[in-house]
Amino acid sequence: MGTFLVFLAGILFLAGGLFLKTRAKHELKWRTILNWTLYVVWYAITWMGISFIYINASVGHVKATSTAIFLFLGISVVLAVILARLLGYIGVKKKSNESLQA
Amino acid sequence: MVKFSKEGVKMEDKKPNLSRRGFLKAGVAAAAAGVIGAINPDVLKAENASLVSLDYASPANGNWCKLVPKVNYGGAAVRYAEHNDEWLGTSKIVGEVKNISEYDNGFTMAIRGELGEVPRWNYVTQGKRDPMASGFGYAIGFISTDQAVVGPPPRKEKLPVPDPEIMSKHIKDTCYYMRADEVGIGKMPPYAYYSHRISPTHGDYATGKVDPLLLMKEIPVTERLPYVICVAVEQHLETYLASTGYDGIAKSQSYRCYHASANISIMLAQYIRSLGYRARAHHFANYASVMGPILIACGMGELTRTGDCVAHPRMGFRNKVAAVTTDLPLVPDKPIDFGMLDFCRVCKKCSDNCPGKAISFDDEPVAYNGYLRWNSDFKKCAAFRTGNQEGFSCGRCIKVCPWSSKEDSWFHEAGVWIGSHGKQSASLLKQIDDMFGYGTEEITKYKWWLEWPELFPMPAGYPPTQTAQPTQTTQPSK
Repeated sequence: MGTFLVFLAGILFLAGGLFLKTRAKHELKWRTILNWTLYVVWYAITWMGISFIYINASVGHVKATSTAIFLFLGISVVLAVILARLLGYIGVKKKSNESLQA
Repeated sequence: MVKFSKEGVKMEDKKPNLSRRGFLKAGVAAAAAGVIGAINPDVLKAENASLVSLDYASPANGNWCKLVPKVNYGGAAVRYAEHNDEWLGTSKIVGEVKNISEYDNGFTMAIRGELGEVPRWNYVTQGKRDPMASGFGYAIGFISTDQAVVGPPPRKEKLPVPDPEIMSKHIKDTCYYMRADEVGIGKMPPYAYYSHRISPTHGDYATGKVDPLLLMKEIPVTERLPYVICVAVEQHLETYLASTGYDGIAKSQSYRCYHASANISIMLAQYIRSLGYRARAHHFANYASVMGPILIACGMGELTRTGDCVAHPRMGFRNKVAAVTTDLPLVPDKPIDFGMLDFCRVCKKCSDNCPGKAISFDDEPVAYNGYLRWNSDFKKCAAFRTGNQEGFSCGRCIKVCPWSSKEDSWFHEAGVWIGSHGKQSASLLKQIDDMFGYGTEEITKYKWWLEWPELFPMPAGYPPTQTAQPTQTTQPSK
């Protein structure tokens, strides 16, 4: 199972990179760097959390498992929202509506 | 068969590449060597010690040994420390360290009744009260005799051995092969010997080999050998995860590893004697030395807040050890420093959780018998362990210590790496340890053993009406 999770993490990292490629590139270079950095950090924390939760749950550390679910996955969700906002997946008004109003 | 050179280089692929001149030179050299060999048979004898004739290739440079090329410190940042007149590892020596007598240790006091009636009679009836520890104790009984640990005299003729460094690596391999979880070699600190040991041993009393009313004799320890080999056997992690640390399995957790490490020490000592060198095994049921300073001298850990337990970077003090003192030529390892003192300064988890209230809350170590340590109350500790009415013995400090209570994982390795970098990072690790609930939890899915709580208290018929007090003798001991 552990080996499978490592494999899955690698595949998903590459797939996520391809998926974000077009949106991550920005006119401002620092924004491009920020987007990719945030993606790498978010991905690392998410999988660190999954690994931490998986190992602790399999050993039977109940408190460690539940704390890690809140801690790691909480941080992961916050970072994901920030990243989604920066990449324009959320919080951006549709242009078609603006043109209709005009 | 594949041959190896002294440097461990494979030789099977080497093809002869001699010119006619070289061939003649080699022939002359071989003839000369043959003549010298015929004249002086000692040359042949000395050749016995060569690695080729022993069919042995030395481990690669810098390797710990062959079976364990790199010693596993479990992620901790480990530095070397000194072993001299001022320091034994990270333990500061502030005066003359006197050899202590086994007569004054906690269990021995319990046997004599100096810690109260319940500890006394609980200790000597543990074979009747604790069925599983009785099994281990029965087996330990056979190897607790002087005959087992001192053994027969060494072989008269010393067998030629490789140089001390290679011999040290071979001895480490031997210990791992004999199922040790960790091994180290040290320069034997003279103060690590007991001044006196007791006879019968406290193991004899514990395992019911002798009448609990038998008078205890104090025998001087005269042995002084230059080196010590220390072996550790890890206590079972999952069992500790399920245990309170002082329930019905606590004593068996210790006995299981005492028995395993005792076996290794006895086999190793006899192996060394069979090579023609002096060797004495020291184990739980027959000590002539104190294990704490030996562990530090062998580079197997640092002294902890508990006062006498030495923590290993990977296992913490969730292990039991035995030792072999010897004059076999060896190269001692250096003591190690992985920041345990700083960690113990801020953690205090063992003090908070000690059911016997025996472990010190002091911020700094204090002077004790010529060195600095946290001065835990060993009488309270021994009284609780022997008088425990909720189980047998106690290892709660082992269970809760952040260095002892972990399975192998990347985050625990990262944790001890953080914890081995001074007080600030030690404080962080302790907080993380508490936040995730490590050490104090009981994971019941691993509770595999059976308990008979009706056996925990002192059995009926005790204390007996007749009592006895120990006497002292001056009979020398090896």
